[in-house]
Amino acid sequence: MRRTLISVFLAIVAVVAVGAAAFALDSGPSSITKARIERSLPATFANLYVQRAALQGRTGLTPASLHAKTMCDKGGAASPDVGAGSDWNCLMSWTDPEVPMPPEGYGKFELQVHSNGCYTAGAPSKLVGFQTITDKKGRTVNNPAYEFDGCFDPQGDNTPTGVVFPSLLTVTSTTVQPTADHKAAVQISCGTGHGGCTGTVSATAGDVPLGSTTYAVKEEQTATLTLPTALPAGATDVTFTFTSKTGVVPPKPSTIPLQG
Amino acid sequence: MTATIETFAGRRPHVQPRRVGTGAVLRWELRKLAHQWRAKAVLLAALVGPIPVVFVIHGQSRPPKDSLFGRFATENGFALALLILGFAAQWALPLLTSIVAGDIFASEDQHGTWKTVLTRSTSRGRIFWAKTLTAALFAVVTLAVLAASTIASSVLIVGRQPLTGLSGQQIAPSHALALVTASWASMLPGMLAFTCLAILISVWSRNPAAGIAAPAVIGMVMQLVGALGGVEPIRPFLLSTGFEAWHGLLTAPRFTQPILEGAVTSAGWCVVTLAIAYLTLRRRDITGG
Repeated sequence: MRRTLISVFLAIVAVVAVGAAAFALDSGPSSITKARIERSLPATFANLYVQRAALQGRTGLTPASLHAKTMCDKGGAASPDVGAGSDWNCLMSWTDPEVPMPPEGYGKFELQVHSNGCYTAGAPSKLVGFQTITDKKGRTVNNPAYEFDGCFDPQGDNTPTGVVFPSLLTVTSTTVQPTADHKAAVQISCGTGHGGCTGTVSATAGDVPLGSTTYAVKEEQTATLTLPTALPAGATDVTFTFTSKTGVVPPKPSTIPLQG
Repeated sequence: MTATIETFAGRRPHVQPRRVGTGAVLRWELRKLAHQWRAKAVLLAALVGPIPVVFVIHGQSRPPKDSLFGRFATENGFALALLILGFAAQWALPLLTSIVAGDIFASEDQHGTWKTVLTRSTSRGRIFWAKTLTAALFAVVTLAVLAASTIASSVLIVGRQPLTGLSGQQIAPSHALALVTASWASMLPGMLAFTCLAILISVWSRNPAAGIAAPAVIGMVMQLVGALGGVEPIRPFLLSTGFEAWHGLLTAPRFTQPILEGAVTSAGWCVVTLAIAYLTLRRRDITGG
């Protein structure tokens, strides 16, 4: 019995030791790369999107006609885009005459990528719909493109795809919070994308201009912008107009009520 | 066991004592195996086991989405056969083969029959290869039975619907059947490697329990290590990596390089483990029996 325990113990120690050694050496290049995901995901999605369209009785769409392309990013601007993880985000654009892309030109997919080269992707529901759809016969069926699995060749083509999409700037504040010296402050967030968000924001409270300020926010970060001019007495809301240098900004000025 | 040997010797009473070939020893090992309830139980489990599993998964209202092909498993027979494949590769295949391979040497220790076996006119080397071949044949038969039973019950109970592959492509039922069968067949090198590992542990530990349990545990540890991030350099050397190589068959375009690599890795494991097992058995002092 002692022999048994010793052999089992040694075998487990050997496997763990090899694992630990590899961990300590901190790996060679991972086979889970941005380029491989950027090749696999649009192909898989295009097939499933056409399958979804067919369920709804639509014809005329083919995987090729969608021209799906994607830019993927793992864990924000700072972390390298390589390796397994559940923090992969992909921005994808495709052409469906009946479902135009939003102003920024893409939808965002969230991916969980495993070390074996397989992934589970969640599609943006505003473009693809929800878990179930109604098919052409009126039945409720599973939406194949809503959430799906795919695998890619861990030794496949690894040359960069060169697909680039800009970050989308969004105003996250629902009300304008005046600062201690009565200036208008607003919170913005810069989504996944290439190059982050830079530009200028100007604001007016009613007819009173509040001046303008520049901003530079890295992708997947938030920032609070404070305008230089104090708010006039009796102001009820503030209208912000963004002018972008990099990144996509809301096309129309956003009007936000003042708190209090 | 002793009874079998005597029968064998008793059948040829007039022949001059000579060393029997590996073939004869192999036949004798196969006869011993055929009379083991353990081996019959494994084959029966491989034959019947998948049927309730198929029924239970088919009856689920929510598909098991966290495994590959799980999201289609309740309404697609091919997907269900692949879901069970992924599950079997985690621990069932190493365990099934170890039940025979992990016991085949150690049982001689357990019953104290080494002396009896070796005083008959055959060499340790012949016995080693005969036992190894017996364990390997058993692994092949077990995998074939399990695969056939799983695929047949999935297809008969759930149905032959077109399968959505791992590139989102639609696969016609006839083609899907071939791919699912090929995926199951791709488990063979890994299963044989676990057979070799079980033989090593069986020879080394002289304990059937260790020979059976350790390969299954090692298989699960490999699975766990392989799933970690940052261990890319050792992934190719793990037997669990070859168990995932079938994914390439279900994508478009297909990729089969991982299957070849998995086969090479398995062959490497077999050569090393069998060499150590052989040397251990050759050098062992069998007098206490």
